Amino acid sequence: MNTFIVLVNKEFTQMARDFKIIWLPLVFILLGITQPVMTYYLPAILDTLGSGQGITIDPSMTNQQGGEILAGTIGAQFDQLGIMIIAISLMGIIQTDKASGMLAFILTRPVAVFSYVGGKIASNYIFIAFSVAAGYLASYLYVNFLFTDVAVSDMLIALLFYLIWVIFIVSFTAMISTLINSPGLIALISIAFLIGCRVIVGLNSIIDLVNPASMSKHAMEVLITGSVNSNAFVNLAVTLVCVAGAIFVTNYWISNKKYSNE
Amino acid sequence: MSKLTLEIRNVKKTFKNKTAVDSFSVVLQSGDCVGLIGPNGAGKSTLIKMIADIINPDTGEILLNGKKISLMKKEIGYLPQYPNFFPWMTAKETLMFMGKLSGLNRAVLTSTIPSILKKVGLSEEEDSKVGTFSGGMKQRLGIAQTLLHKPSLIIMDEPVSALDPIGRREVLNLIQEIKQETTILLSTHILGDAQEICERFIVIKNGLKIEDTTSTELLQRNSEDRLNIEITEIDHKWVGIIGELPYVKGIEVIGNKLMVKMENLEANKNLLLGNALKHNVNILKFEVGNDTLEEIFLKLVVEK
Repeated sequence: MNTFIVLVNKEFTQMARDFKIIWLPLVFILLGITQPVMTYYLPAILDTLGSGQGITIDPSMTNQQGGEILAGTIGAQFDQLGIMIIAISLMGIIQTDKASGMLAFILTRPVAVFSYVGGKIASNYIFIAFSVAAGYLASYLYVNFLFTDVAVSDMLIALLFYLIWVIFIVSFTAMISTLINSPGLIALISIAFLIGCRVIVGLNSIIDLVNPASMSKHAMEVLITGSVNSNAFVNLAVTLVCVAGAIFVTNYWISNKKYSNE
Repeated sequence: MSKLTLEIRNVKKTFKNKTAVDSFSVVLQSGDCVGLIGPNGAGKSTLIKMIADIINPDTGEILLNGKKISLMKKEIGYLPQYPNFFPWMTAKETLMFMGKLSGLNRAVLTSTIPSILKKVGLSEEEDSKVGTFSGGMKQRLGIAQTLLHKPSLIIMDEPVSALDPIGRREVLNLIQEIKQETTILLSTHILGDAQEICERFIVIKNGLKIEDTTSTELLQRNSEDRLNIEITEIDHKWVGIIGELPYVKGIEVIGNKLMVKMENLEANKNLLLGNALKHNVNILKFEVGNDTLEEIFLKLVVEK
């Protein structure tokens, strides 16, 4: 437990030294603001830039409910660019330590593999959850300012659901980072798989039940309809099982020293 | 010095189709300073990594004081071949981090780190980023790291092979110093270094242990009676003449240097010198030679 805390501290120090602690939340805040601001000003932008001839702008566009816009932030910003940014910022989470030999070196000390894996995932998750929440709250403030108010309880439940999906994003990327040695390939596989999961949501109700990305859909539903889907808790359980699976694979792989491919 | 026995029992490790270490057994006692020597690719690093619990042996076991090595990590200090620390940490932070991972608390570390940095000559650099360090400095920081938790066994993988002569000297002196306090196992392919620090050698080739002995024993056992003579170009016909002499067993000519194997060197060396004078040979050098460790090593590794 002690070494777990040492490793978590080290991760946070590293994030601060890399200035990641500044840029990642900033990126998410910008992403969060984009959706409400763009939706609000789009008619005006089109009006001034386009000649306007032959284009009819549906005035109801700016009359959208706040909840729908906030859901748009999740669906159109966080689940696309956001996933890519998370995957790219995490592709080296374990791979860099493998490549530099620090992983092997750290494990020559009396450190349990689980402390290492747990420390990596916990620290990075806390930080990414913080960044996503910062972006989401920024979006929420703009939505309330430019559109109709969103109920605080709906906003919080949706955030909570979304952050469950983020745990899966983080632990899945960490697993791929352990299994594969090339950083580019890690990013590619993670992004393709995670966005793939998100895209197929809604195609088939059985797949949806075991798809961690459904948590994102549930978050959007809470914002749009104001009620929680009855499947949400099943999905929550399934997602947590998937997370446990990814952590288990990572732990198993490192414990059995499969990372040293000499 | 705490009591310690390291037992390597019948360890074997195969990568794909290549056997890196084969049926290797050895026992180390406390106070030993053992040099693991062998050519590149002999399996030294693999063996060291198995002792450091970085890779698992396919068969066999490695025990420290009768317990599995993976349970005894606190007792081991490990120096990798290329110690690679986090470049964004300072020397002090690195030691703090590694020390905490070894289970030491902050108070102990704050009091011991300055003295250890002083010992390895990095006091001035304690707040410099490791990323700016030279190879020798990283190696010394690596050694500082192995000493932090006062292990009873220190294993080093090629501690001096990658260093320039100055760095090498610094690290060798440091190892000389720490060997008073702990048991050391180090691998190297540079024999002079091993000869300087270690009393006991284990020679490994193609993953097999081919020799386990002390340096004096190795030198005595393998020494042959012979003379090293250096002559000038024009006297080369003399080589033919001494070849006929009854007490000369063999001659090896390398340029102007002759290695003459003799029977009963003590008695006959003056006869040979007399013979040279009689033929008016211009002698540049005349010495009684023993095999150096390097030659013995080459013999062991190349011929066997």
